[in-house]
Amino acid sequence: MESVTQVDPLSLRDRLFAATYRCVERFGLGKTTVDDVVKESGISRATIYRQFPGGRDELLLETVGWEVANYFNALADHVRDAPDLTELLERGLGYAHRSVQEHALLRKILDTEPERLLPLLTTEVNKTLPFVADFLLPYLRREADAGRLRPGVAPQRAADYLARTIVSLIGAPGRWDLEDPDQVHELVAGELLGGIVLYPPDN
Amino acid sequence: MLMEGQVTGQSERVLEAASRCIARVGLGKTTLDDVAREAGCARATVYRYFPGKQQLLVAWVDREIAALQAEVLAAAADAPTLGDACTAVVVTTARTLARHAPLAFVAAHEPEILMPFLAFEREDAFLRGAAALVAPAFTPFLSDTQATRLGEWLARLTLSYLCCPSESFDLHDVTAVRALVEDFVLPGFDRHVQSQGVSR
Repeated sequence: MESVTQVDPLSLRDRLFAATYRCVERFGLGKTTVDDVVKESGISRATIYRQFPGGRDELLLETVGWEVANYFNALADHVRDAPDLTELLERGLGYAHRSVQEHALLRKILDTEPERLLPLLTTEVNKTLPFVADFLLPYLRREADAGRLRPGVAPQRAADYLARTIVSLIGAPGRWDLEDPDQVHELVAGELLGGIVLYPPDN
Repeated sequence: MLMEGQVTGQSERVLEAASRCIARVGLGKTTLDDVAREAGCARATVYRYFPGKQQLLVAWVDREIAALQAEVLAAAADAPTLGDACTAVVVTTARTLARHAPLAFVAAHEPEILMPFLAFEREDAFLRGAAALVAPAFTPFLSDTQATRLGEWLARLTLSYLCCPSESFDLHDVTAVRALVEDFVLPGFDRHVQSQGVSR
């Protein structure tokens, strides 16, 4: 029985996401139930349904969103102190790709239940596009202040373009080997920033 | 069994009928019997060309992709500049897919069937395939390698806007797509490529 004191909803939700994540690790997406989460978290069914009126489906969707946020927060931390946009992207792409490849639970679910995960993942990843764009905006403004932005480039448009292409590359690098620094350099200077940043003539 | 390249009028009618069935009830619920009924032919005829649903769907997807490619390359065929060719490829893809009733049904009601083909390693294969399909639109202006590289980048952008539409950017809008291509893609793609006319 929960106490009458107010529980901080943020940490309550985080506890529920972490517990749900552990259940999915153990039972998979299809088989995880709200009762599993009750047992794992020690939080009552009533409380869970108050936080997630949509029940199991809403809880699973938001847990995916929580883990996606964890992923992008770690990526942001990894690149945050980059001196310029070029180095930010070069540093970020390899790390971003590696952390997707090495995400054990993601790999497991893609092997066993991709059709359950992908609709949720697509929804949540698409929600991150504005956040990625917002993260890049100060770096774009810094390029503008340093006189390195191509004339006529609107930072917001550039941020939107970069957010989409980066998120796309992380999931599916296509022809690009993101572990190869030379290829990453070519991709960043070319497709990503060629229309955005001024390069010195000898680059 | 139908051999590769041996498209007969009959199998064409069956595949057209499959399109109508899928547009109506989706991939999951479409059966070979439905398709036969829709095509107005005997079940045995359908089974002769497509012994199973899997074979039918593979042939059907191949046909739809070939039709899309034909539309896209035709639209880009007279493009005077590389920028025009890129714009034509993207806009034609968006418009053709928007009109595609079977795709609309599957995307709306059976996304879990579609998505595994558009994510992670399968998305890599998708991008590679799409690049090869549209590259001929750019070979009047670029080497084969560069045309394929550009094709993949445009496919990547188009897929992103199709799967996650933007409120501020309309893939059907020629002006907006041209601006994206000229401002971000072409200078970004190859700093040494000039977007200039090529006499045909």
